[in-house]
Parts: sequence; structure tokens; C-alpha cells
Amino acid sequence: MSEIKALEHATLKVPYEILNKRFRSAQKIIDREVDQVMNVSRQVEKALDAEQPPILSDVAKLMGNVAQKLQVLKRKADESINDELSVTQICKRKLHHLKGIMPRCTGEMFPGTVDQWKRIRIDRLVIEHLLRMGYYQTAEELATRTEVRHLTNVEIFQTSREVEEDLANHSTTKCVLWCIDNKSKLRKINSTIEFSLRVQEFVELVRQNQRLEAVKHSRRYFPAYEKTQLNEICHVMALLAYPTDSEMEHCKKYMDPKRWEQLVLDFRHENYRLFQLSNTSVFSAAIQAGLSALKTPQCYSQTCRNLNCPVCQDDFHQIALKLPYSHCVQSRLICRVTGLPLNEHNQPMMLPNGQIYGRLALPKITKEDGTVTCPVTKVKFTKPKIDKVFIM
Amino acid sequence: MRAVDWRRSKFTKLIVEPQTEVDIMDDEAIVTVEKELDRVVSKLEQLHEIASAEIGDVASLMSELVNVLGNAGQMLVTTLNTGTQMNAPGTGSTDDPMDDAVNMQVETEPAAPQRLTDSQMEIIREAISKCNVRVQKLSTEHRDSHGSVSKIGKAIDRNFSSDFSSTMRVDALQDKDNLMLLNKAIAKHYCRQGMDDVARILIKECKMSENDAQDVFDSEREFAEIYSIWIQIQKRELNEALKWAIRHSSQLLERHSLIEFRLHRMRFMQLVSYGLESQHEAILYARNHFQKFAVRYEHEIANLMASFIYLPGGLEKTPYKIFLAQEMWTELSFTFLKDACQLLGISKNSALSVVVNAGCTALPALLNIKQVMQSRQVLTMWNGCDELPIEIDLQPEFRFHSIFACPILRQQTTEDNPPKKLTCGHVISNDALHKLSNGHILKCPYCPVEQNAEEAVRIYF
Repeated sequence: MSEIKALEHATLKVPYEILNKRFRSAQKIIDREVDQVMNVSRQVEKALDAEQPPILSDVAKLMGNVAQKLQVLKRKADESINDELSVTQICKRKLHHLKGIMPRCTGEMFPGTVDQWKRIRIDRLVIEHLLRMGYYQTAEELATRTEVRHLTNVEIFQTSREVEEDLANHSTTKCVLWCIDNKSKLRKINSTIEFSLRVQEFVELVRQNQRLEAVKHSRRYFPAYEKTQLNEICHVMALLAYPTDSEMEHCKKYMDPKRWEQLVLDFRHENYRLFQLSNTSVFSAAIQAGLSALKTPQCYSQTCRNLNCPVCQDDFHQIALKLPYSHCVQSRLICRVTGLPLNEHNQPMMLPNGQIYGRLALPKITKEDGTVTCPVTKVKFTKPKIDKVFIM
Repeated sequence: MRAVDWRRSKFTKLIVEPQTEVDIMDDEAIVTVEKELDRVVSKLEQLHEIASAEIGDVASLMSELVNVLGNAGQMLVTTLNTGTQMNAPGTGSTDDPMDDAVNMQVETEPAAPQRLTDSQMEIIREAISKCNVRVQKLSTEHRDSHGSVSKIGKAIDRNFSSDFSSTMRVDALQDKDNLMLLNKAIAKHYCRQGMDDVARILIKECKMSENDAQDVFDSEREFAEIYSIWIQIQKRELNEALKWAIRHSSQLLERHSLIEFRLHRMRFMQLVSYGLESQHEAILYARNHFQKFAVRYEHEIANLMASFIYLPGGLEKTPYKIFLAQEMWTELSFTFLKDACQLLGISKNSALSVVVNAGCTALPALLNIKQVMQSRQVLTMWNGCDELPIEIDLQPEFRFHSIFACPILRQQTTEDNPPKKLTCGHVISNDALHKLSNGHILKCPYCPVEQNAEEAVRIYF
């Protein structure tokens, strides 16, 4: 499996889902306008089919309606199809960028190009992660600074940013609009987010002691959920009976302002389900797979730490704690003095204290008088016996 | 080795070949998606054409008719010969709109309201039915393109993998503390590249503690400086680099780093290349700065000073030209990056980029194994083991530690099971040694030597 196949699902899937949504709404708009045209044209036909030939001015008026509706249809169809086409452009741009890593017809690839592509990939993955975490501002700034905006989903998640900000300000308006906008899809994925919003609205009414309003609200919105959420509806309705500052566990649960924060998280989760994205971002999967691939038992032993190894550094050291080690069936040995691999060209040699260095490193640690200093333990040996070691 | 095959770890029995070749360059998936996308685009463009041309055409036909009717009503003329735009149904709109002139007869009945004649009604009927056909065609054709749109989605789902749950046993990034550490790593990564604003906004947005935030800037400040100097060297600007080198002079000397002398040499050659007018300055520079390198680079300094003989003619056609070539500048900048990072004990690449790039190599391999594992119903096997199920083939630059894998047990050695050197020089793990020895007697699995098992020595890589 290639890296592109493994890692770029979200890159393409998100704009595709947008295209699909635009397509649906375009279809809806076109159908509605077509219906309008058909309606007025039917009136004309009806007039023509009447027993007496119709009056000219009446027909002219009806025909005028038809012409007008046709113009509207034309304009709207034009707009919606352009909308669809603009999304396909986003997909195109992304595909084009992904193809940038392919070998040209010559089959050659400059290492610089690959490095640059990988650098952009890190930026893209980080931006996706930031969006998922809800750090919209950082994502925005990063997309601008690194000039990869057109390859990310920053723009697409602008709406979700607005909804989240609205929810954070204890208002459900934008989120409700979002629910209506995505109604059929939400139903398909069995989302209960709209119900949670209605419950929250109810709770807020109770909190402000507008209990009658709350009852009206419940009458208006709750019946739609009676089949699936009856239990919770009962619990929520029970709030009507208690004072808002009731100490009861159950009341406190609903009255807790923290529920808004939960709503933000719920919304974010549903939004990702809507785009059919998995719960783990590629970034976090890559981080964890990468840490595992780099993690060795040495990273956790005090003497063998290597400052260049990310897993040996404090932050990643902690994150990698519970991740599996890399698997290794073939020894790969590196001389700690020269950094060169130990193999037949640089045979491993053992000092009397059991420390292994490459043959090429021996001159560097041997003084003119024949004393050898072990660079790790700092022990000095005078003319030691240095043994060859065979690694299979 | 065959004799001890049974001791091999259970995973090697799966015969899963580690990915020997990292192929990011597989375009089949992209081409498939692109093909579907192109199909939709061409369909939509066609529809766009229909919408603007055909619907527009029928719309203007209607308005024309309305005009004619309106005129007929107002003018109260007995007979009106008028041409109206009327294309044969089904053809395009390219024809001359006047080619199909129709006689419209309007009869006046002064007292009663005007009524339509049969032929007028016929024309209107025809126009209306044409209009109905066209608008319905638009709607159905747009609906028909749904198939191609959803094919894109299917192509994406089929060719790209979206589920990573199989690659992780535990999700270490569910934990709040770990997520904050990751934020820190991200902030450091961008700080390193001089994008302090990005790091600052992130710190604010994720509400990082002040200590951590300070740590981010402290840890990467040194590198950010090096990074900017590095860029300056590539722009042939040496001042900052020299300042840095002089500041760290003694440490550089300790490490036998060439960089300080190289920088001075470059600066000196730069002065020399300016020609006669900077001769004095160049001599002064040499006297000020070359002194401390006199012992180590005696020969080279002599060589450099000899450049003065070419001064009047410029360096272009002399052996000294090479000192100022582009490759020398690039080389200098990279030597600087390497030595400076080594001196500060930091890595050239940010930890985040190393981890992510390693992960991008590892993920395809891990996703591959998922299919193998599932098909053999051994998915649960991974759970019992604290190692990845396969070896990830990383590039040498991602190897930071020596790993000794016991050739008998095919496992990495650990503190509990350390590597041991037998008297014959072969190395095996302690566990293997115990399994192979019979009492005190051990026969080396690789050579005919029989030895005392206790004489094996613990070794360190």
C-alpha cells in the first residue's frame, strides 16, 4: 500500500462530501424552479383548453409569468451548477498536488522535491489536527503562513467554527440551522445532536424560570423524539418540578454549564461523522505509528539516550510510554563514536569492559602511548586486548 | 539456525515480508479518482451549457411571445404579421431567430375583450410544451449525474483507507496530558522554523501552561537563531554566522569543528575578491582573525595569503575562484547547520517532523498487515505483545539507536535479556545462551567451538 493510499483519504473525502451536498441542494433548487415553471405553464394550458378561446391579455399575463419563471430557473440553475463546479476545482487542486510526488515521465525525482512535498504534508496534517482540536485560529494562521490553504479543509470548516463559537457563547441558533441544513444526512447517521440542542434550550428556559415557555418548547420539539429518547425526555421534564439550584444529582447534571462544552464536542464529532471521517486523525495515527517505529528499549535506559532521537526527548518520551516498541529481527548496529554502521567494513570490536565500538573508531580513542579511553564509561586501558565480535 | 527454528518468535511464522520499498509514488488510486472526477466535471459543464443556452433560449422565446401578445392587445390592429422567434423543437439555439416567422392573426372585437385565435393558441401550445420538455430535461439530466457523483465517493473509499484503528492498540492521544505535550511539540516545530506567531497563537488557543510555553520558546530559540543564520549564509551574508562562531569559539575548538576557520576563510576571500581597494582591510582581517588558527591551519593560511598576488587582476581566472563558488557557500551553510546543531546537542530536524515522517512510512505497512492478520484470524495476537507486529523499514537517518536482535530468538535484547559474546566471538542473547547450553557446556550455534557457558561476556552497543 502506498503512502498516498494510506494517508490521503480525508484530503479527498471532505471536498467530495461537499460536492455531494452541493449536488443535492442544486437538484433541490432546480426541481423547485422546474416545478414553478410547470405550474405556470399548466395554467396557460388550462386557459387554452377552456371552452371559449381565452382572452388575449389574460394569456399574455400568464405567458409573462412563464417567461419570468424561466428566467429565474435559468439564473438559479446557473448559480448552483457553478457552485458544484467550484467544488470540483477544490478536488482537482488536491489531486494535482498529490500527483506532484509522482515520478515524471522520465521516472526521475529530485530528492529536494520529495522533501518539499513531505514538508507540506506535515503542514497539512498539522492543520487537519488543529481543526479537529478546534484550534481554528492557529490553523488559519498556519495555513496562511505556509501557503497551503488551498490544500487543506480550513475554508470548509469555517462554518463549523462559527457554530462552535456560537455554542461556546451559549446560543443554539447556528447549530440548529446547521442541523436543518444537514437534516437528511444526520438522520442517516442516527445523530441525536438536534435533540441534545432542544434539551439544552429547554434547560436554559427552566434556568431563567420561564417554566411555561419551557412547557411550550417541549410540546413543540420533544414529540418528534418520543420513540427513541422517551426516557431522557421524562428526565428532562422532571426539571420543571425542582428549583433551579436543587442539589439533586439529576438536576445538577442538566443544570451544569459544562453541558455547553460537551455540546461543542458533540457537534465536532457529528460534523466529522457527517464527512465520514474516522475518529482518529491521520496526524495522530501517524504520530503514534511513527513513535512506535522509532521506539526502542534503549530510549528508556538512561545510558543509551540519543538527543537526536525524538522518543528520547521529554515530550515524546512521555507520549510514547504506552505505545509498543518497534519490532526488529535483524540487528542494526551503529558505532557510538563515528556514527557509522557496524559491518564487515567497520568490524565491531570489544573493549575489555564489554563496550563495542567500530574498528574505524579505535584510532580516535587510542592515545599515542597505547592507552585506550572508553568514551562511554571513561575508563582507561593500557594496551588492552581488543577482541573481534561477530554479529550474525 | 535451522536447528533452532522452533524457537523463533511467533510473528516471524506469519511470513510477513516487511515493506522493502517505500512507494509513495503510486498513482493508480489518484488516477482512478481523477477519472471519475473528470467525468462529473464534463457532465456538469454540459449541464451548465444546457441551462444557459436551452433554457435561456426558451425563456427569450416566451418573452418574445409575451411582447407580441402585448402589442397585439394594445394596438388593436386587425391583422398583425409578426415574426417571432421559434425554433424547431429539439434543435439548438444557433439558428437565426427570425427564420421561422409565423403569422399571427389578431382579430378585433372592439366591444368584447380580445380573444385568441386558433392559430395563436396553437403557437402558444407548442411553445409551452417545448418549454416543459426542456425544463424537465434539465432536471432529469442533473439528477442522472448523481450516479457519477457518488462514483467519486466510492472510488475514494475503495482506493484510500480511512480507518486507522487497526494500527493502534492503545490510543495514547486520548489522554489530555499527552495531547498538551503534542501541542508543545507542534509549537516547537514551528518555533524552530521561525514561525513564532503560529506557536504563540497555538499556545494561547490550547491554554498551555506558562511553564510549558516558556519551555517551547527556550528550547527552540537556539535553533531558530541557527536557522536564520543558515538562511543568511545561503544568501552569502556572514556577519551573524561569524558572531555566533566567535561566541562559541572554545566549544567549537574542543570538538575539532572546522566551521569557525571556514567562516573566516570565506569572509577573507570575500574581502580579497573586492580587489585592490580592500587590500588593506583584508590584511587587517587576516592579522586579527587567523592568528589563533596559525598552528592548526598553517599551510592553508599561507595558501590563502598567497592570493594577494592575484589581487590586481581579480580572482576570476585564478585557482582561488573555487573558494567563492556556489557549492562552497551551500557546503558552508550545511556544515554550519550540522556543527551548530551538534554543539548545541539538538537535532537538525524537528522531533515532530521525524516522528510524522516515520509514521507516514509505518502506516501503510501497518495497514497492510491488518489485512493479513484479519484474513488469518490472528488479530488478537498483537494484543499479547508489546512490540509492533512487523519491522518497519525506516531510512538510516531515522535510526538513532543500535539494536541487537538475537539471531537465535529473533528478538531485540533488553536489560533483562542482554547480548552476550561467546568465547569464539559470536554474539547471542542471554536467553538463547541458557536454552542452548547443556549444563555448563555450550556449543556455539555458528561454529564448531565448544565452550563453558559461564565464560560468555555481557556486551554493550
